[in-house]
Amino acid sequence: MILFFLALLALIFGSFVFQLFLPPILLLHGTAILFVPAVYFYGCLCLPFPLTLALTFFTGMFNDLLMIPQPRSHSDFPTGISILIYLAPGLVMHGLRPLFLRHRWETHCLLAETGAILSPFILLAQYAMLSFERREIFFSDVIVWRIVGPGLISLLIAPCVFFILTPLSHALGYRPGLPFAR
Amino acid sequence: MKGITIAALGAFGILVVLVLLLPQQTKHQLQGALFQLITPVLRTGASVQQELGGVRGGLKRLDELERENQKLKFDNEQLRASNSLLKNLESEVNRLNRALGFREQSAFKLLPAHILSRESATWWNFCTIDRGTKNGVATDMAVVTEDGVFGKITTVAKDVAVVLLISDESLRVSVSIEGTQEQGIVSGTRASSNYVPDLKIRFLSKTANLKPGMMVLTAGSGGVFPSGLVVGSIKDFFVKELEGVASVTPAVDLASVQDVFVVVGQK
Repeated sequence: MILFFLALLALIFGSFVFQLFLPPILLLHGTAILFVPAVYFYGCLCLPFPLTLALTFFTGMFNDLLMIPQPRSHSDFPTGISILIYLAPGLVMHGLRPLFLRHRWETHCLLAETGAILSPFILLAQYAMLSFERREIFFSDVIVWRIVGPGLISLLIAPCVFFILTPLSHALGYRPGLPFAR
Repeated sequence: MKGITIAALGAFGILVVLVLLLPQQTKHQLQGALFQLITPVLRTGASVQQELGGVRGGLKRLDELERENQKLKFDNEQLRASNSLLKNLESEVNRLNRALGFREQSAFKLLPAHILSRESATWWNFCTIDRGTKNGVATDMAVVTEDGVFGKITTVAKDVAVVLLISDESLRVSVSIEGTQEQGIVSGTRASSNYVPDLKIRFLSKTANLKPGMMVLTAGSGGVFPSGLVVGSIKDFFVKELEGVASVTPAVDLASVQDVFVVVGQK
C-alpha cells in the first residue's frame, strides 16, 4: 500500500512537471490540460482515509509551489490554500470508495467521469480565491471556458488514467477489496 | 480504525495550519528549492521541445520551401536597404547620445537567458529561465527582449529562475505614453482569449486623448523596470467613471519568444 502511495506521489509530481510543458489550447480560449486531478482522484478512491489526507496535502503543496508564482513579499494566493481546495472534491471521491472496491470496469469508468466533472471545482475555487484577494470579480465566456474546459478534456483523460493506474496498483501489490494475489 | 482516522485528521489539520502560517519568505525559498530540484527535468524537457520543433519545422513541403525562398530573397533585399539606412542612423544616434550624456544612463548590463518552460496555469502567466543565483540573477530583476518588456523575476534558485510575465494580472508597471504627459499603471488581464494577450493601463486622466498605435514606455518609478523600455502600443482608449483606461498590445510576442535578457544592473 505504501509503495503504491509513493508511486502515486511520484506520478502527481511528475504530472505537475509535465504540465509545465503543455501549452494551453488556444482554440478553447486557453483551456489547460490537467492530468493531476485524475491521478489524485484515483488515489482518493483507492487509498484509505489517512493516506487520502496525506495525498491531498502533498498534491496541494506541489500545486502551490509549482504552478503559482510565490513572490518574496506578498502572494495573492498563499501556499497551502490548494490543500483545502483539493480536499473538498477529494473527500467526495473518497466517499465513493465502496463503489470503487466493487472492481467493475463500468463503475471505474463512471467514477473516472465523476472525477472529471469535479475537476472544474478546483479551478473555480482558485478563481474565487483570486477574485476575493484582488477585489474584482467578473465572468466572461473566456473565464467560463477556462473553468469548464479542463473538466471536458478530463472526461477523455480520466478513464485512461484510471485504466492505467489499476494494473499499476496490482503490480505494486496493492489490491484494495480484492484477495491477495498468489 | 476510528482512532487512526481522528489522529490523521488532527495531524492533517495541524500541518495545514502550519503551512498557511509559514512566512512568505520561507514559502518563496521552498519554491526556489523545488524548482532547483526539477532543473534537470526542465532542461531536458526544453531541449526535447526544441528538437521536436526542429523536426516539425523540417517537415515542409517543396512548394512551401519555394514560397519561403522567394519571401526570404525579397526580405533580404529589403533588409540590405534598411541596414545601410540604419547604419547611418546608428552613428547619428551614437553621436547624439554621447553629446547629450544619455548613453550611460540608458545602457544596462544584460544577461542572456533561454526559456525552459512556459507555465500554462489557468490564472497565472509565468515561465522558467535557465539562469539563477549562480549567474547573478536576483528577485525583482527586470526581464526584457530586444522588442521590449517581458516580465520580472519572482523566484530564483541556483540554476533557474521564475519569471512573472507582463501579461499577468498581478504584475503592475508604471508607464508613460510617448508624446504625452500621461502616466498610468499597466497590468495583464486575468483571462485573455486572444493569441496576443491584452494589457490594460489604468489611472489615466479622463481627458487623455490617446490614439491607437501610440507607444507605451516604462516610467521608471517602482525600482524594477528602468525608464524608457517599450511595453507595447495603444490599442484602444475608453473613459470610465473615475479614470481613463487603455488597452495595450504588448511589444513582445510572449507566446513564442525563446531568448530573453535579465537586466542585472547598469553598465
